[in-house]
Amino acid sequence: MRKVSSGSKIADRIFKVATGISASSPVLFLAAIAVIVLLQAMPSIVFMGWHFLYGINWDMGNLYGATEVKHGVTAPAGASYGALPFIVGTLASSVIALVIGVPISIFTALILAYKVRGTLRMILSILVELLAGIPSVIFGLWGIVVLAPWVGHKFAPLLTHLGAVLPMFKGPVGTGLGLLTSGIVLALMIVPIITATTRDLLEQVPILYREGGVGLGMTSWEVVRFICLPYIKEGLVGAVALGWGRAMGETMAVLMVSGSAINYLPHNIYSPISTMAAVIADQLDSAMTDATHMAVHALAELALVLMVLTLVTNLVARWLVNRGRSGRGIGAGVKV
Amino acid sequence: MMNRATKWMTGAAALALVVSVAGCGATNNTTNNTTTGGSNNTTATTPATPVTINETGSSLLYPLFNAEWVQAYKTVDPNVNLIAASTGSGAGISQAIAGTVQIGASDAYMADGQMAASPSIVNIPLAISAQQIMYNLPGMNANSDHLKLTGDVLAQVYMGKIKYWDDAQITKLNPGVKLPHQQIIPVHRSDGSGDTFLFTQFMYDTNATWKSTVQFGTSVSWPSVSGGIGAKGNDGVVAAMAANKYSLGYVGISWLDKAVQQGIGYAQLQNQAGNFVLPTTENIQSAANALVDKVPADERISLIYAPGATSYPIINFEYAIVNTKQPADMATAMKKFLNWAIDPQNGNSSTYLAPVHFLPLPASVAPKSQAQINKIGG
Repeated sequence: MRKVSSGSKIADRIFKVATGISASSPVLFLAAIAVIVLLQAMPSIVFMGWHFLYGINWDMGNLYGATEVKHGVTAPAGASYGALPFIVGTLASSVIALVIGVPISIFTALILAYKVRGTLRMILSILVELLAGIPSVIFGLWGIVVLAPWVGHKFAPLLTHLGAVLPMFKGPVGTGLGLLTSGIVLALMIVPIITATTRDLLEQVPILYREGGVGLGMTSWEVVRFICLPYIKEGLVGAVALGWGRAMGETMAVLMVSGSAINYLPHNIYSPISTMAAVIADQLDSAMTDATHMAVHALAELALVLMVLTLVTNLVARWLVNRGRSGRGIGAGVKV
Repeated sequence: MMNRATKWMTGAAALALVVSVAGCGATNNTTNNTTTGGSNNTTATTPATPVTINETGSSLLYPLFNAEWVQAYKTVDPNVNLIAASTGSGAGISQAIAGTVQIGASDAYMADGQMAASPSIVNIPLAISAQQIMYNLPGMNANSDHLKLTGDVLAQVYMGKIKYWDDAQITKLNPGVKLPHQQIIPVHRSDGSGDTFLFTQFMYDTNATWKSTVQFGTSVSWPSVSGGIGAKGNDGVVAAMAANKYSLGYVGISWLDKAVQQGIGYAQLQNQAGNFVLPTTENIQSAANALVDKVPADERISLIYAPGATSYPIINFEYAIVNTKQPADMATAMKKFLNWAIDPQNGNSSTYLAPVHFLPLPASVAPKSQAQINKIGG
């Protein structure tokens, strides 16, 4: 048994306390944010009830007029908060981002994992990861200056020809600021995260399986389609869900290209929208001038809805990724 | 190995402790030194301690504060350190109330409800600003052709009742002008904005339906109009309008030149007297002069839709939102700065106001601002 000096004992105690504080801080922060958002949202939850989730009109009321009391809470006369257009806008733009971004990510990941080697692979990987490092306001600026006019004047009129088959592609195409442009910008922003995760997953596919496929006379596509993708299926779903969470929470880029719709649901894929995150950023300044504070509470409730949605997607993603990982160890041999 | 690591840990922890304690000491020392140094160097008229006045709020007022006043005031009173920030009018008001800044800049005056909740706050006009209604109509010269519009027509466009540029109500106002049969794209500000406050007040004053439904505010519940879009900031509105022919929008006067350069024209608006007027210096001044008698002691008043033959209908006061409860040193410094800012020989001279297209306070309003400034610290 080694003799422990008093100095070491004190150091050990400091070490325990320091690691304890550091390790518990993420949990504490999450809990604190959740509690604060919930408390801030309470008056709005009481004020609007379930109507908040399915109502279409978002109105702070006349901040310069009289106040009224409803369900025991005070709000400016005429105030009414229905967040459905923002919830739909968030979900629709992020789903479009996935539809565009996931195939691009998978194909890029396949190239990075299997087709290129050495320096070229390193350069390509770095480029993809650099895409993740571009500040979102730059995506927004590019979106408003370059992408939106192109979508509005060139791409969308072309897409309307699909309207005969898919009604959501029917015109009018509007200005280019809207759902489709938001989806494209978001797609670019989630490609890096999905690509990187998928590449790592693809690298875990045992070389023996792939060689076996080639040995049986499978083409490259068949190897990918029947061996690699089934092998990483669960993990891939997780990677997509991670990207989805990122797309739903994105604020600045969407705010700049969404067309900031208010009080109506999108009627086609070109329609202006708003997302929950963008509305919070846009309206907080005015909300702070509401003497009853109801406007801030309503935005807090919007934040709560967004947080719950994002947390659920993230949890599902993690669960799927972990299931994919553990399932592979036990069942992989049986599967192929 | 373990022993060495723990010793290292102790060392690091001890070092951190020493550094933080020394840090505190250092801060105290510096403050003391500066205080004593300051009192030796300065004259009796300026406060002995250097004072930092923080300003935040309106993005419209920010260029005037940051690029013009902050620079100029350094030579007026070197003892005062002005820090300006652009965070939006709502933040300006709420942070002035919270006491995190001394001056909150706002394009809109505070509502009665907020005044009741914070009775020690005053709204001090610093200058006059205006707003123009802009459009992107190919074939019209942005500099010389000015469409005639009324608040009533604008309200109907923003409610979706007037959909096309060649609507009878618009062509009637503009005989001889060939207007296209194209859908109007109304652009509004998506973020909370003093510009929205002014524009919605103009429609509130000129259209009964707007008055009873949408009303006015820095953010309003915009009626849903097919094809209409929201954009963030004056820069966002100008970018969206430049990219979209047949768009219509409202833009703060400090953005006029930039927008016209991009081919976006601006309208003559019908004033209360029924005349169509442009946002010229003279017309903005006429509007301000027409309303000066009505300005109450607390100076919270809408200058929209002023009477008078040549009054431009969309103008406003730019406000400093100030808590009158301030420590003596701060109060002295703030009073001196604000009085300098509204002085037509100093902060209110065209040297500073012209670059941002602002106009000075009318001579009869300035004393009311002075009276409010003198409440600070009192």
